[in-house]
Amino acid sequence: MSLLFADIGIQSMNKYGEQLCGDHVDVLEQADDSTVIVLADGLGSGVKASILSTLTSKIISTMMAAGLSIEECVQTIADTLPISSVSRVGYSTFTLIHLVENREAEIFEYDNPHVILLRGGKHYHLPKAEQVIGDKTIYRSRVALQENDLFIAMSDGCTHAGIGIDKRFGWERDDIIAYLVSLYDPDFSAKTWATILLEECKNLYRFKPGDDTTICAIRMRRHEAVNVLFGPPAVHDDADRMISLFLEQEGRHVVCGGTTASLVADYLGVELRPSLTYDDPDIPPTAEMEGVDLVTEGVITVNRVLTYAKDYLQDNESYVKWGYKNDGASLLSRMMFEDATDIRFFVGRAMNPAHQNPSLPINFSIKMQLVIELNEALKKMGKRVQVTYF
Amino acid sequence: MKVTVCIGSSCHLKGSRTVVERLKELIEQHGLGDKVELAGTFCMGNCQKDVCVTVNDAVFSIVPEEVDSFFETEVLAHL
Repeated sequence: MSLLFADIGIQSMNKYGEQLCGDHVDVLEQADDSTVIVLADGLGSGVKASILSTLTSKIISTMMAAGLSIEECVQTIADTLPISSVSRVGYSTFTLIHLVENREAEIFEYDNPHVILLRGGKHYHLPKAEQVIGDKTIYRSRVALQENDLFIAMSDGCTHAGIGIDKRFGWERDDIIAYLVSLYDPDFSAKTWATILLEECKNLYRFKPGDDTTICAIRMRRHEAVNVLFGPPAVHDDADRMISLFLEQEGRHVVCGGTTASLVADYLGVELRPSLTYDDPDIPPTAEMEGVDLVTEGVITVNRVLTYAKDYLQDNESYVKWGYKNDGASLLSRMMFEDATDIRFFVGRAMNPAHQNPSLPINFSIKMQLVIELNEALKKMGKRVQVTYF
Repeated sequence: MKVTVCIGSSCHLKGSRTVVERLKELIEQHGLGDKVELAGTFCMGNCQKDVCVTVNDAVFSIVPEEVDSFFETEVLAHL
């Protein structure tokens, strides 16, 4: 396994008044830590552009994934895309980034703004080679990946932001680079970078984008594991085995659930110290325990984390809450959404007597459902998730 | 004297936050910060009842509306 992990964040907005986005990003994970990412921008806007860009990105990513050469992919695009009866051109521009085993990036660019690479927070010039395939000029670059490399691919909606408003020539690539460098923080996630850039584009367009605008940020980072122990095991005698397996994992350790936390405290022979601070009135306080990084209450907290996770995958409006607060759900969300690349759940299936009170809105099946949904949401964020039941 | 309020899932849903915050206020109003220690605990196994509170070793089950009278009879009266 490569030491590095690709954290990918994508944000798009539609041209003002359009229902569909004419840009499309396809991310295809391959075996052995390789990934194909295609950002395509269909000519025009609306339905036609959307179809063009979706076709283009799907065709390229599928063919690349099957091991065909870039020449064949581009040739196929040139031969198959429908041609507009009005303009007599039918195409979609694209940026293709192939992360090979998370060791090397191969980049192919056709008519999109050139990919920006920040290395260690500074702009890194990517050497390019020109190649003509059919009648299209493709730029190729190749670079060995390093920790904290930040790649920004974008559609021209980004570089055109502000044309005729505040910017004569739009938001020029050099200005975007300067903007990125000025804000650089190695801890920002790819999603955060994509959001920051898209928000600035939105502002430059005065909230009426003149074109579909898409940002795809890729951040190379080291693997960071978070282990979550959630609930006591179905068979009480399995507790020690479950806890020792959980504790011996590399990375950070979170215990969700008061009863579970008491079991861990007994196992470790340490004191469990619940706090009485309510940073969010609806989320029970956290607790402290030596040997564990975070202790939270169970179902209510995890349910809130799931709400934040679902929102994170949509418009991420709740970031203003979980991004800063110190209640259990916010702390766990930051740890899982921002810090972790790999998440391991150790889920105990004991029926908690605390939850069998019929007047309470929590029960066993809800807990299992929470684990399933949270697992799915985290996978959609690009995390590697592993669940073990006890 | 040690007063412990359960902050586990069930008690939380039954209003332990209100109990904790009201007790904090009452302790402060009566200037009992050095005599009464307020703490939290996870599940004490009395989930079928109301919010579980202990005073030293005595176990009580109270609803948030009863905090004031509980404080008078079980805390103030025993100091």
